[in-house]
Amino acid sequence: MGEKKDVWQGTLALMVLKTLHTLGPLHGYGIARRIEQTSGDLLAVNYGTLYPALLKLEQEGYISSEWGVSDNNRKAKYYKLTRAGKKQLEREAREWEQTTAIVARFLAPGEEVS
Amino acid sequence: MRVLRALLWRFSGLFRKEGRDREFADEMESHLQMHIEDNRRCGMSAAEARRQALIKLGGVEPTKEIYRERRGLPLLETLLQDLRYAARALLKNPGFTIVAVLTLALGIGANTAIFSMVNALLLHPYNFPDLDRLVRVWENRGIDEGVDARFIAPQDAADLISASAVFDALATYRCGDFNLNAEGSVQAVLGCRVSANFFDVLGVRPALGRGFSSEEEQLGGDQVAIVSYGFWQRRFGGDAALLGKIIQMNGKKYTVVGIMPRGFDYPVPMELWAPLALNPLEKMDRARLSLESLGRLKPGISIAQARSAIDSVARRLQQEYPATNANRQTEVLQLRRELYLYTLPLFLLLQAAAVFVLLLACANLANLLFARIFGRQKEIAVRTALGAGRWRLARLFVTETVLLAVIAGSVAIALSFWSVTVLRTSISASWTMWVPGWDGIQVDRTVVGFTVLLITAVGLLFGLATVLHSSQEQPYTTLKEAGRSAMLGTTGRVRSALVVAQVMFALVLLVCAGLTTQAFLRLVDVYSGFQAANVLRTEIRLPEKSYLQNSQVATFYERVLGGSSALPGVTAAAVATNSPASNVDNQTTFFTIKGRATVKVTETPSADLQISSPDYFSVLRIPLIAGQVYSYADIADTARVAVISRSMAARYFSEGDELGQQIKLGAADSKEPWVTIVGVVEDVRQNWWNPTSRPTIYEPFLQAPQRSMVLLMRVASNPAGYVSGVRDVFRGIDDQIALTGIGTLEREITDSIAIIRVMGVLMALFGCVALALSSVGVYGVLAESVARRIPEIGVRMALGAEPGDVMKLVLGRSLKLTGIGLAIGIPIALAVNRAMSSAIFGIVSINLVLLAGCTLLLLVVAFAAAYIPARRAMRVDPIIALRYE
Repeated sequence: MGEKKDVWQGTLALMVLKTLHTLGPLHGYGIARRIEQTSGDLLAVNYGTLYPALLKLEQEGYISSEWGVSDNNRKAKYYKLTRAGKKQLEREAREWEQTTAIVARFLAPGEEVS
Repeated sequence: MRVLRALLWRFSGLFRKEGRDREFADEMESHLQMHIEDNRRCGMSAAEARRQALIKLGGVEPTKEIYRERRGLPLLETLLQDLRYAARALLKNPGFTIVAVLTLALGIGANTAIFSMVNALLLHPYNFPDLDRLVRVWENRGIDEGVDARFIAPQDAADLISASAVFDALATYRCGDFNLNAEGSVQAVLGCRVSANFFDVLGVRPALGRGFSSEEEQLGGDQVAIVSYGFWQRRFGGDAALLGKIIQMNGKKYTVVGIMPRGFDYPVPMELWAPLALNPLEKMDRARLSLESLGRLKPGISIAQARSAIDSVARRLQQEYPATNANRQTEVLQLRRELYLYTLPLFLLLQAAAVFVLLLACANLANLLFARIFGRQKEIAVRTALGAGRWRLARLFVTETVLLAVIAGSVAIALSFWSVTVLRTSISASWTMWVPGWDGIQVDRTVVGFTVLLITAVGLLFGLATVLHSSQEQPYTTLKEAGRSAMLGTTGRVRSALVVAQVMFALVLLVCAGLTTQAFLRLVDVYSGFQAANVLRTEIRLPEKSYLQNSQVATFYERVLGGSSALPGVTAAAVATNSPASNVDNQTTFFTIKGRATVKVTETPSADLQISSPDYFSVLRIPLIAGQVYSYADIADTARVAVISRSMAARYFSEGDELGQQIKLGAADSKEPWVTIVGVVEDVRQNWWNPTSRPTIYEPFLQAPQRSMVLLMRVASNPAGYVSGVRDVFRGIDDQIALTGIGTLEREITDSIAIIRVMGVLMALFGCVALALSSVGVYGVLAESVARRIPEIGVRMALGAEPGDVMKLVLGRSLKLTGIGLAIGIPIALAVNRAMSSAIFGIVSINLVLLAGCTLLLLVVAFAAAYIPARRAMRVDPIIALRYE
């Protein structure tokens, strides 16, 4: 088993929002699995990081929650992206792309920044 | 917005906690189950699937903890928790709580009560807008004769406003009684003639009707009046139809044009204001200082700027009009400060005493708290060992002390509503009506704010002190030693220091209390030189426009004297310009002694001037020392004579040569006639605030008739019973004359020193509290230390110490602490002593006997307080004591 990295808070929120945007309403377990799979199992998501992040997003009004029934007939709390959440996702994604682009330019070999 | 939304959400997270906890537990459970199912699908055994899931997901409890913190507001939550804990702790120990709350409530309450007086009298004596811009302006010759004698010449006032650019406006006024005729009787009304801009300068509009116009300031247009709210209510039943009605005063018709708002009472509680209309001659007058004046400074002009501007105008007037204005100075003083130049030190002293009481209470409470911490040392150690951070513990303690302070403060505020009413009504209304702001003594926003500030300060201070104190200890030491002999070192020292401080505060407060009590006792017979018993007094003011000739005035008073001394039971009657204890100082005058050249005006002798009828001395039983007093034979046509007081004789004449000397009022160049001194009488103290009896000149009223006089009658007994008889006498002479201030002289004296009595009572109260608190403090600390040293004492006794030695040990410690406290306290007490003797006008002086007495008293109290613990120590059974070790 390789080393798995913990996700740090800021990016976790973005991942959660993106996951909900792509897959629609989903429970905590589903979100965690999706993030792990997408990362190619490089990231590990445990309760301690996921649920406080979900709560924070809910408090800020980006997602809402509702109890529902899962595919296997199990009671689960489903999270759903709100309108504010969609906007926040766009904003954060844009910012993230900008940041990575800038960092990437710095790290690109042999290119002088004029 | 997001932040606010989150905050609201989190705030709601404070409630319905169990439900939310369960919900989250369900969510985690469902998450776990889904994980296990997935693991099973991957082919794991049931047990392995569960194990892997649990490993993966991490600790359930820490997650719940993090989640919970995110859900609510942990700071607020722990605060509530701390509050609950603190309340429980206080409830569990009711003895401690009651003592602590009462001690603190006493300290805070004393401050609240005194501050309510300071607030009303010193900070808000008047309700005028921009009070700080209002100034009194007056002229004198370099000697201030007090609040009642601050006047300005009309033309000088006019020049002042036109020539100096510092005033927005300057109002002038002159107060005097009006005689109101109504339904066949006559009633004296407190009134004031004011310039048309008077109400504008004060910034107060009539509640009904209008102010005065400038036409009404002209002669002929001045028969209009504005009445006070109280007068309107009392005299006219609050009838709004009074506006435009005509009232009859001094035999003339006045139209009522306005009614002032409730509580407006400038310059004193007036009942009525009328326009001040001066004739052209009066307007141009520079010679007589006949008006009072009040100015409103332009915004941004400081008192210093105003003073220098006024000074330069005054200097110019001195040069231009030397005949009238030579040596004349112009003074300016903020209205707010005017009345309290004398009483300010009194109130500051009271406030300082109250602060001392609070400090004493605090020292006591600190002792209690430290004792409690000692008892809780183990609990604290356990908490620390379990991971309670320093910050967390600190919050716990601070919450507890703040809660204590808040309870005590609430008790204090509740009590102060009562105590403030008692204070306000403790002095007769006939005296307090002259004190601006007195009726404003109440628990208002400022007072409550002040109290809240005190509470916060005390609570935080204690909390922090407790924290610092408790954090010195290492938990493992305490646990190891089972808390028995820990904290001997530092705590002992801190608590000893507290006892020392208490003794010190107590000494200072006791000395203050002793001094004020003594001052009051002295004041009761400060009015020496005369006998006040069985004397009835009343003030008489002749109406403005009648009795214009001096001879008419003289005749009038002769008839008054004749009529009143003829009343059965009256042994003598006299009139005088002032009576002792009237709270009004005598008119002061310069005089010149014949045959003695004076060089400068500042060297001109000055004295009080009293004008009286011959029987004044026998009515008040003022002893004659030399010569004789004047008689009814000394009239306008005969040679002018005078009687002087003993201190005047002593100051200006050599022993025995004063009789036959001639003096005249005014400086060497004055046109006053020469007067021959025919007698010397004993000194009379005019008012309690005069440091000594002032040199006084008495002149016969038949030679210098005055319009306003005080009638004094000596009767066989029960002077109060003569009031109606005296009224009848006046009615028989002139039914247009109204009497004011009728009552016994003894009552007048009691009222005049009422403020000192209140102060004396308060100080005595503070002193008793100080004594009680400090003895409790000494007892507490010693009892505590004895309890802690029982094992040690046991060892000592087992090793052969006699009970006497043990007792000496404990008593010695008490006396040592008290001694240090006294050693620090004595110089402070001496300083306070000095400050007080200047604050209450030299009535009391440095008093070593009192100081020694207080010192001794505290020593005795400390000894007694130590005796009980000492006896307990003596009775320690070494066997039982050693069993603890």
